[in-house]
Amino acid sequence: MKISLWDIYKVFTKIGLILIGGGYVILPILKKEVVEDRNWITEDELVDYYAISQSLPGIIAANISIFVGYKLRGKFGALAATIGIITAPFICIASISSIIAQIINWPLTKSILWGVEFGVIILIISSVQELWNKAIPDKFSFLVFLSFLVAILKFKISPTPIILASIVIGIAYNCFISKRGKEL
Amino acid sequence: MIYFNLFKEFFKIGLLSFGGGYATLPFLYHIAEQYKWYSINELTQMLAIASITPGPVGINMATYAGMKTNGILSAILATFAIILPSFFIVIAISKLLRKFSDNFYVKSAIYGLKPASCALISAVAIRLIISSVNNIPALIIFVPLLIIFMTKKQSLIFYLIVSAILGLILNVLFKIQ
Repeated sequence: MKISLWDIYKVFTKIGLILIGGGYVILPILKKEVVEDRNWITEDELVDYYAISQSLPGIIAANISIFVGYKLRGKFGALAATIGIITAPFICIASISSIIAQIINWPLTKSILWGVEFGVIILIISSVQELWNKAIPDKFSFLVFLSFLVAILKFKISPTPIILASIVIGIAYNCFISKRGKEL
Repeated sequence: MIYFNLFKEFFKIGLLSFGGGYATLPFLYHIAEQYKWYSINELTQMLAIASITPGPVGINMATYAGMKTNGILSAILATFAIILPSFFIVIAISKLLRKFSDNFYVKSAIYGLKPASCALISAVAIRLIISSVNNIPALIIFVPLLIIFMTKKQSLIFYLIVSAILGLILNVLFKIQ
């Protein structure tokens, strides 16, 4: 039986709505919704999509949703899943954005948000920690990390050239070591 | 022009941010410095709001920046711009899957990208610490949170709730704001 685009949209809208706290929680949610409850894809496929989505640019949750949508109904399925996953966050932020602009100037919320900033710093440190083991497996990648960190902080280099340079460095390094019989 | 810039900047995030989660942050801070769509302060506050509302922070910020610049139309534009690269890339590699991640050049590029992405996010954290943790009340909140984080991990929402409560108490005591 052909899965309707409307069904794809509905399921991903639901996923977008319960997706609080970013991409890392999407795997268990998807497993329940599209593998166990609906049998749309197998668990192996989902794990593949998840693994590859992490090495692609962009938002992980969106990447996986597009994979699943595309698998189910091609380009239009991918589009239905994409629109679905952004519906809830979009409506939520669009409707509270004017309220946010006002309440952040109230003395009470100002005090709270002043404190929350420190909580946010911890959240950012925690995301670095989560990335760390996968991102820095050896001495060379640590060297790359350190030199980029210094370059960013000292010379205020913007993200785009850093990212582009890192692709070149990665490829050059692997070419270099593979000539010596090793490979990543 | 504003529509073009909004589209360009958020498209760039979708194309160049690697590592998920907060990998969009360095770009979002870069935008705050270059354009007047939102301030660095607002971005930090939005990060807190984004972690208790549905959806990834990148999508939330795209929508928020769009709403602030020119209302609903530019919000739709910015939100689609951040997703668009994913859309084309995923469809293009959907048939390759494992062949894609085993490819020599893809593997090498990702090997370089991950530490770079890590450095970019670390730089955001370091800059925020330098600009915010520079007075006694700030240290009173931040140091205990950091110690708790390093010794026993709590769920992320714990840090937001505790820092909110401490922020309120310290403001009553010290009148910071």
